[in-house]
Amino acid sequence: MLFPTIEFAIFFPIVLGLSWLLMPRQPLWKPFIVVASYVFYAAADPRFCLLLGGITIGNQVAARLIDRTDDAKRAARICGVAVVLNLLTLGVFKYYGFFVSDVGDVLDSVALGMPLPLLTIALPIGISFFIFQAITYVVDVKRGDAEPASLIDAAIYLSFFPHLVAGPIVRASEFLPQLKAPRDPRRVAVGAGLVLIGIGLLKKVLVADTLAREVVDPVFGVPEAYFAPDAILATLAYATQIYCDFSGYTDIAIGLALLLGFVFPQNFHSPYRATGFRDFWRRWHMTLSRFLRDYLYIPLGGSRGSRLFTYRNLMITMVLGGLWHGAAWTFVLWGAFHGAMLVTEHALAGRIGRRTPVWLRWAGTFAAVCFAWILFRSPDLDLFWTYLGRIVDPGPATLWTVPVLAMVVAVIGIQLLPPRPLERLQLRIERLRPLALAVALAIVILVVGATVPSQGVPPFIYFQF
Amino acid sequence: MSQHTDDSEMSRFERRGQHVYGARDAVGAVALVALLLILFAGGSIRDAAAQIDQGIGQEIVEAVGGPTEWLAERLPLDEAQHELTAGLSPDAELAGGAFDEGAATATGAARVPPVTAAAFDPAAIGAPPPPKAELETLLVTGDSLATPLDTELARRLAPDGVEVVRDPHLGTAISGTAIADWGELSTAQVAREAPDAVVVFIGANEGFALPGPGGEQLECCGVDYAAAFANRVRQVMDTYRRDGEAKVYWLTVMTPRDPQSARVIKMVNAAIEVAAQPWRDQIRIVDTVPIFTPGDSYRDAIDVDGAETIVRESDGIHLNAEGSSIAADAVLDRIDADFTR
Repeated sequence: MLFPTIEFAIFFPIVLGLSWLLMPRQPLWKPFIVVASYVFYAAADPRFCLLLGGITIGNQVAARLIDRTDDAKRAARICGVAVVLNLLTLGVFKYYGFFVSDVGDVLDSVALGMPLPLLTIALPIGISFFIFQAITYVVDVKRGDAEPASLIDAAIYLSFFPHLVAGPIVRASEFLPQLKAPRDPRRVAVGAGLVLIGIGLLKKVLVADTLAREVVDPVFGVPEAYFAPDAILATLAYATQIYCDFSGYTDIAIGLALLLGFVFPQNFHSPYRATGFRDFWRRWHMTLSRFLRDYLYIPLGGSRGSRLFTYRNLMITMVLGGLWHGAAWTFVLWGAFHGAMLVTEHALAGRIGRRTPVWLRWAGTFAAVCFAWILFRSPDLDLFWTYLGRIVDPGPATLWTVPVLAMVVAVIGIQLLPPRPLERLQLRIERLRPLALAVALAIVILVVGATVPSQGVPPFIYFQF
Repeated sequence: MSQHTDDSEMSRFERRGQHVYGARDAVGAVALVALLLILFAGGSIRDAAAQIDQGIGQEIVEAVGGPTEWLAERLPLDEAQHELTAGLSPDAELAGGAFDEGAATATGAARVPPVTAAAFDPAAIGAPPPPKAELETLLVTGDSLATPLDTELARRLAPDGVEVVRDPHLGTAISGTAIADWGELSTAQVAREAPDAVVVFIGANEGFALPGPGGEQLECCGVDYAAAFANRVRQVMDTYRRDGEAKVYWLTVMTPRDPQSARVIKMVNAAIEVAAQPWRDQIRIVDTVPIFTPGDSYRDAIDVDGAETIVRESDGIHLNAEGSSIAADAVLDRIDADFTR
């Protein structure tokens, strides 16, 4: 079920009303919210609910076993087995086809081929997100950062519908404490919730989908038909689209959670304001980057060793981070590019950074991030190379329209403005009376609804990850 | 990637002095949003139901859509909202050409209709082919089946300078008009693009009830239904062939995994064959069944250059990129028999 659809518009008011009605009666509320979340997930494909249920039970068993043992080595072994099983599940559903075809071809070429059967395996929506959350659960319990929850609390944590299919990736230690007592019905951030939902809808439907339809999909579909001006515009438009699509989803998810009484971590913080790649990853998909840091980079040894050891860890982290996005070489190379940039930045730290003007560091970072987006958006490397060829091939601009340019400039430009005045403005809007905000949100929905083509709202980009 | 001390920002809403209200305010505000949407857009809910896969979700949306449509019809708000926001719609304006149910379901012609020369593909009877024309504009359309075939064709034809107009309409059906009426849509496409050739790949969503000759609803997939469906297909084919100005390449649909859907697809493919009969010199049927599902038997993978290759998406209906590339080969073979490029 997508957020900006009629089904969700029917689903959410009912769930919200019943949720607050049942909230004081936790033995009723908890099963209710699990059922509601599974209904939400079943709208995509009911069979995947079995997978979600299996992941929940498996990790709950692991968390309990870890908690019961006093032997640190045994706890580490159980945690390791749970993490491996989680990753195997992810691997089968997400990477089997890639492994059998692409990696299999490579192994075949060196006479190491394996006779694995060709299978078409449906990718369960959101699997990467809920499996990562399951990993944080068992690892947080093993580290002592979170207590093992009851089965029902673990089920809520993994299936809670606002974050189920595309994050943000909420740590067990952030979410489980919110389940310890009923949420306070006198303290609901209604204004912030409604404003975030409105902003998210505007970003997703008005900006991201329009840019995809008008510029990005045509140019990335057939780059051969376009020249440098359109290819450059499509690159900038994709940078804008993917930010608005994903951060729009996150805004809606955080807003819905606030109305239900829950707080999620922040996931974006003006990423195109970044003046370096470390800075970028502190602003872009923040919950993924901290997951990679805390559950991969630091366990690998982090920066507690030689420079080369640190660089190796950075590269492994970013390549696997790239592969997390999808089973394709373009994602692997995208991750490797970001890893290489982080390594370079690390190597040059203190030598160039201080002397380079901020605007130049910003421009360099932005250009490199946009370049990497071309890899990310290309379905294969052939198209990537073709696209690069078009970027340097002069010719007419056919897609440069005022609305498209306005959207790109506004979305990127607004991130370069000083954040305080914008935050103050948002806060002032959030402080309006809820009924006034409701009227404003209805107007936003009607306006963005009018921009939806007859075939409906395309899925969020990150649903496929 | 240095360790952050506080990266959760979990207290950010409290920290910035957020005004908090009660749960009743939250529920009231969301209820008000829902009420306003019902008043101003309640008439569209049933249309949205047509885009949802059949099942309980669709039934619920339809059930909600009934009363809201009733309300919208009695209040001027829905219409006013549509008038105010009409300029924002990205859909092309349609004018005329909708399916004529009277003609589509007419039976019993007064006399035997004559067979014309247009009913014969010269190649099929060994007659000399007409001279090849130059392909300048190709329209690739259909439902979700037409993707990524449209992109594949556009990429293959781009070096030859052929303008490929990609216009798939996801979730649509010739038998259903809630999202798009293909009678109107095809008319608008032809008026807008005047293509030399049209590639059509549609059929993933068929099976909606159709009006019968007496106004009764025909359920899929008996012969009466097939006749009504073929009439609609024929109307669309007639539009695309532009009185003989354009060639049409209509792909049959390869057998899907689900047996229930396979029954509908069998009817769709039979109807395509029948509908094209009057204009076989202009309408080429590109039969995908022997390529992807020989013997009408579903398979994920086929032999491509000696290697088993997956050609279907995991949904068991659509072609993946590899499959679309093979379909594009078949289409281009047929196009190259009629056009230079």
